[in-house]
Amino acid sequence: MCEYSGRLIAWLDGELPDEEATNVEWHVGQCVECRKAVSAYEEVSGAFLACYEAQMVTKPKPHPWRWAAAFSGLAAAAAIVAVILLGQPPAEKLSFHPPSPPSPALAPIMAASTRIPVRRHPVAVPLHRQWISEEPVVEVALPADALFPPGAVPKGFSFIADVRFQQ
Amino acid sequence: MSGDSLSWALPLARFRIRDREATTLFRELRKPLLRYLVCLGLSPDEAQDVVQDAFLSLHRHLSSGGSQENMRSWLFRVAHNQARNRQNSYERRFSSPLEDGVEAVLDEATPERVLLEKEKFQRLGNAIRTLAGAERECLVLRASGLRYREIGEVLGIATSTVADIVERAVKKLAEKCNV
Repeated sequence: MCEYSGRLIAWLDGELPDEEATNVEWHVGQCVECRKAVSAYEEVSGAFLACYEAQMVTKPKPHPWRWAAAFSGLAAAAAIVAVILLGQPPAEKLSFHPPSPPSPALAPIMAASTRIPVRRHPVAVPLHRQWISEEPVVEVALPADALFPPGAVPKGFSFIADVRFQQ
Repeated sequence: MSGDSLSWALPLARFRIRDREATTLFRELRKPLLRYLVCLGLSPDEAQDVVQDAFLSLHRHLSSGGSQENMRSWLFRVAHNQARNRQNSYERRFSSPLEDGVEAVLDEATPERVLLEKEKFQRLGNAIRTLAGAERECLVLRASGLRYREIGEVLGIATSTVADIVERAVKKLAEKCNV
């Protein structure tokens, strides 16, 4: 075995002092056995690096309270829509009570008053959708003991701060 | 400038510098730390928690006037120790997700590359399984871009020992992979 074989990996990693690195570099240029070994170390190190970089790091799951807030927002929007729709005088019910024939002069006014305005797109829904789709840019966990005096908060509680940047 | 305003300005300036350094470190090291912890066997959620705790510790460390030398190895050491504490508290062994990385590499590759390299990566996966814990940790920290000195600081061992472990581990992989 070549006397330089024990220094090849450190040389590849740039961990040898300059003078020693120069010697190893010169030797590798001359020695077929060491060149072959260096090639094998490079290949296996590259494959290991590929495995390391392939480690999937998933995004943090949204916290339950965030989903609860989102769903409560949607529920509130649905409730608003329901109130708007149910709060209007039902058109079918009016038709059961045939009105006395209006005079021709009042006909346009009557037609306008029986028209039911329907809001198809409540304002609250797009706002909540936008809020749900936002991902936190930075999420910082703060232990409760950093914010409150000892004993003020039950053990095990912590707080999450989402930091978002606006364009 | 009065003496009072000067005495306030200096600590504030130092705070801004520390804050900027911490932000830079966060951007630079968050992903490598997460990968390292996942390679150690933590779940992604656990890894996120540990990284957040590590940066919180960094903030406390800098706020209390702690040393700003070797911050990379400092952060990896804190994350490493917290991961070990979690392992001990839950009394479970770390899994070996690096072998799963082999499958992920093949999943992302083209069909031709899969045919060519499948056998090679399968051999690598088998070879990684044979590594000792210290060998695996050294190789993962090396893949994270840490120098031998920094790896030694993270694991609490001498730089020369790191060199020996890395050499042994790489040679073992090369031999088992038959490259």
